[in-house]
Amino acid sequence: MRIGVFVCNCGTNIAGTVDTKRVASEALSFADVVYATNYMYTCSEPGQQEIQRAIGEHGLQGVVVAACSPRMHEPTFRRAVEKAGLNRYMFEMANIREHVSWIGNDREANTQKAIDLVRMAVAKLRFNNPLFSSKMPVNKRLLVIGGGVAGIQAALDCADGGMDVVMVERKQYIGGKMAKLDKTFPTIDCSSCILGPKMVDVSQKENITLYAASEIESISGYIGNFTVQIRKKATYVNWEACTGCGLCTEKCPSKKAADYFNEGLGAARAINIPFPQAIPKKAAIDAQFCRQLNGKKCGVCAKVCPVQAVDFEMKDSIVTEQVGAIIVATGYDLFDHSAYGEYGAGRYPDVISGIQYERILSASGPYGGHIRRPSDGKEPKDIVFISCVGSRDASVGRPYCSGICCMYIAKQAILTRDHLPESNSYVFYMDIRSPGKNYDEFVRRAQEEYGVQYIRGRVGKIYPRGDRMVVQGADTLLGVQVEVEADLVVLATGVESSAGAGELAEKLRISYDQYGFYMESHPKLRPVETNTAGVYLAGACQGPKDIPSSVAQGSAAASKVQSLFAHDTIETNPQVALVNERTCISCGKCIQVCPFGAIQWKELRGGIKKAEVLPTVCQGCGVCNATCPPKAIQLQHATDNQILAEVNELCA
Amino acid sequence: MLETDRIQLHKLVEEALPELDMMIGWTESCDPLQTTPVFIRDAKLISKLTLGPFCSQNLAGYLVKPPALESVPKDAKPIGICVKGCDSRSLVALIQEKFISRDRVRIFGIPCRGTIDWRKVAQRVGLSDVKSATVEDDFLVIDASGTTHRIGLEDVLARKCLGCRYPNPIIQDVLVGQVATPRSSSLETTYRDVDALDNKPIEERLAFWQSELDRCIRCYACRNACPLCVCQDKCIAETREPRWLTQRVGLPEKFLFHFIHAMHLAGRCTGCGECERVCPMDIPVTLIKEKLNKIMEEMLGYSAGLDPDGVPPLLTFNPGETEI
Repeated sequence: MRIGVFVCNCGTNIAGTVDTKRVASEALSFADVVYATNYMYTCSEPGQQEIQRAIGEHGLQGVVVAACSPRMHEPTFRRAVEKAGLNRYMFEMANIREHVSWIGNDREANTQKAIDLVRMAVAKLRFNNPLFSSKMPVNKRLLVIGGGVAGIQAALDCADGGMDVVMVERKQYIGGKMAKLDKTFPTIDCSSCILGPKMVDVSQKENITLYAASEIESISGYIGNFTVQIRKKATYVNWEACTGCGLCTEKCPSKKAADYFNEGLGAARAINIPFPQAIPKKAAIDAQFCRQLNGKKCGVCAKVCPVQAVDFEMKDSIVTEQVGAIIVATGYDLFDHSAYGEYGAGRYPDVISGIQYERILSASGPYGGHIRRPSDGKEPKDIVFISCVGSRDASVGRPYCSGICCMYIAKQAILTRDHLPESNSYVFYMDIRSPGKNYDEFVRRAQEEYGVQYIRGRVGKIYPRGDRMVVQGADTLLGVQVEVEADLVVLATGVESSAGAGELAEKLRISYDQYGFYMESHPKLRPVETNTAGVYLAGACQGPKDIPSSVAQGSAAASKVQSLFAHDTIETNPQVALVNERTCISCGKCIQVCPFGAIQWKELRGGIKKAEVLPTVCQGCGVCNATCPPKAIQLQHATDNQILAEVNELCA
Repeated sequence: MLETDRIQLHKLVEEALPELDMMIGWTESCDPLQTTPVFIRDAKLISKLTLGPFCSQNLAGYLVKPPALESVPKDAKPIGICVKGCDSRSLVALIQEKFISRDRVRIFGIPCRGTIDWRKVAQRVGLSDVKSATVEDDFLVIDASGTTHRIGLEDVLARKCLGCRYPNPIIQDVLVGQVATPRSSSLETTYRDVDALDNKPIEERLAFWQSELDRCIRCYACRNACPLCVCQDKCIAETREPRWLTQRVGLPEKFLFHFIHAMHLAGRCTGCGECERVCPMDIPVTLIKEKLNKIMEEMLGYSAGLDPDGVPPLLTFNPGETEI
C-alpha cells in the first residue's frame, strides 16, 4: 500500500507543543509511507486540496491525517479522499490534539507521543479494506412517544410537512404536565389557552393517529424500518362511540376515586373525563374504584350512556404500527416531597407541592380557581414558597438543578398576589436561576412590583402551630434565624425522570443517565439525536426543561426526522460487525450480549445455525467481538488484526 | 460401600440403556490408580462401569465436542452420563449456554469424596507395579512392589478437591450412593492457593508465572480437556485470521495463550480442574482461572454452573450495571 501522512499544525493548537515537522519526517520511515508533510490547517480548503493533490501525484492508496479528534473532522477528510478517488474508509485519523498537544507541555514527550500515534494509525491503515454502504428504503411514518407539549410540537411539525404521524400517550389525555398548569411564565398567559389549540390540531389532523391510554409494548427493527407494538389499555369505554357528553360521570355513584389530574386535591368519579378541554374527550373507567369492576352491583354508567359505549368486558389490546423514525418525548415526573421528613414528609395537608398549587390556581381546578388551603378551605393570608425541594440536594439523590422551579415560584407568587391582594408571599431560595429571555426581569417584578419577600436560605423545619404552619429557616444574607408563620406552604418540587423511563429506554435501546434522563448523542453538537439511529429526543425526557425549550426541542427533533424522510433510501454505515460463518461456532453469545438486538440466527442448509448481523441495526459498538470466543465476528473498521497491529506498534 | 454403589449404578444403567443413545462413564484403566472414559451402547459392557476416587475425568466435555454442535435430529435419544459434583457444574454451564438441552442428557449424579491425583501418589511411592489401591476412611492404601503404603488422603487428593464446596451434583436424574459432605464451605478455603500467591510481592508472582508458563509446550491439552472450551478447531490460538498468536516459541505467546484461555472462561469456569490435570508439564493452569472465579464471586456474586436458568454476568448486556 502507498500511504500518505498529513500532520496538521492546527495553527498553534498542535504546533505549539508538538514538532509537527519532525512527526512528518519520522512518518516517512514507517512501512508503506511514501509521502508525509505538515500543514497549517489541514481541514481548510487548501489543506484538503493538498491531500487530494498528493493522492494523485504520489498514487496514494491510503491517507493518515494526524490532527484533532475524529469526532470533529473525520467526515470532512473522508469526503476529501473520496473526491480524490479513494474509498472513504481507506483513511485513518491520529488524534494529536485532544490526546497530545492539549494535555501536555513537554514538547519532546508530546512529539514522541504524536509519532507513536501516527505509527499506530499507519499500522492500522495497512490492514484497512475498502468498505461499501448499501441502500435501504425509508418508511416515512413517524412515531411520537408522549403527548406532552414537546411531543405535540414534534407531531404537528411533521404532520404539517405531510408525514404520517403515530402518537402514543400513556395517559387518557394529551397535553402532559402543561395541561395541568394555570398560567405560564414569563408572560402569564393561560396555559390551556395556548396549548389547547395545539391539542385540538393533533386530534383533527388527518395524518396523525393518536393512541391515548396506550403504551409501547415492544420495538424492533432499525432506522427507516421500525415495527412497534402498542398496548391499548382497557378504558372500559368504547371510544369509537363515546361522545364525551359526561352523563356517565354525573351519575357515577363511586365518588371517591383518586383525582390524578388534580394531584389528589379533590375526588373524581370512577368514570370520568379528567378535564373539560381533554383531548381526546372520552371517558374512561378507573378500574380500582369502579363498583361494577370490583364485583359490586352497579353498571349505572352503562345504563345512562346514550350510545352504549361502556364495555365492562374490555381487555387490553395490541396494535402494530410500522414507522421509519421515533421521537421520544416522555417528559418528566415531579419529586415526591415525602422524602423530606423535616417538611412533614407529606403529612401536613397545608404543605403542598408546586403542581398542586398550580391546580388550586387553575379555574378548572378543584376549588374553581379560588385560592384556598386544602385543610379547611380557608383563604390563606401568609404563603411560603420553598425552592429546591428535590433539586440541588445530593442527600436525596438529586444533585442537579431542575431549572424551572425558580421561575414557577415567582409566577405562583405573582398570581397569588393577583388573586389575594392582601396576602403576603415569602420565598426561601438557595439561588435564583432565571437565565431565559425576560426571565430575570420577571423575577424582579415579583420582588419589586408584587412585594414578594425573597429570603436567601434553607428551611430547616416545618411544623404546625394551631391551625397554621411554622417555617423555620436561616436567612444567610442577614445571618439570622427566621421563623415565618404561614397558612399555606408550597414546596417547589424538582424534576425527575418519568416513571418507567428505564424500561422504555431498554425497548428503544437508547442510553440513559444515572437519574433516568435519556442521553443525547453529543451534549452540544447532537442534542436531539440518540446513539440509536432513527430515535430522537424532545423535551424533558432528556433533562429538566421549561416549555420554550421543550417546544424548541420538539421542533428540532421534527426537523431531524424531516431531513431523514427527505430521502427515499438511507445509506447504511458499513462500519459494522460481520460474521465469518466458517469460524462461527454457533454459541450465540453475540446474540445474548448485543445491546441493540442487531444479531440473529441464520439457518444454513442442514439446519446448522450461524449468527448473522443486521447491518442496519448494528451500531458498531464491538461488544459482540469482545465476547466472541473464536473472534468469528469482526468489526469491519476495527478488526482484531487492525487493533493488534496498533498494539504491536505501540509495544515494539 | 463403593461396591454397593457400583452395583446400584450398573442396575440403574441397565434399566435406562434401552432409552439411551449411549452411556458415558468411567472404566478401569491400565493401573488401579487411574480410570478411563468409556462409551457404552452394548449392554454387555455395563459391568465395566466403575465409580470412586480414581474417576478423575470430567465427562461433560464429551457432550459438546464436534459434531455435537451440529444440529441434533428431533427424535435423538438422550445420552446418559456420570457426573461428580464439579462435573455437574460444567453440565449446568453448558445447559445455560444452550450447548446442550437438559432433555438431551440423562444424568447419573455421583456424590464425590475427592479424586486422587496419581502424580502426587507417584511422587511418594512410584507407580511401578501397583497391585491394588483403595480408599479406606481418610487414607489411600496402596499395594505397590510388594509393600503396603497408607497415605493420608489430604496428601494425594487433587488440588481442586481440597477446596471443594460442591461434592454433590447440582442437577441429576438419579443419584448413585450417599450424599457427601463438602470439604470447604468458605471462599478462604476454596481460594487458599490464589490468596497465597496474591499475598506475594508482584515480582515474585511474575517470576512464578514466568517459570511455570515457560514450561508450556503449547500442546493445547488444557484447552482440549476443558468442557467449556467449545471453539475447538476454531480456537484463535491456531487461526491466522485473526492473527492473535503466532507459532513462534516464546514466553509472550505462552502467556497470551493462557490468558486468552482464562479470559474466555471468565464467569464460565466451574473449577473442574481438567486443564491442570491433563497438563503434561505440571503447570498449575487452573490457578489463573481460580483467580478470575474469585473476582467473579467477589465482584458480581456469581459462581458458574450452579443455576441452569441463570445467565452468566459476562453474557448479558445490562446498561444499568453498577458493579463494573
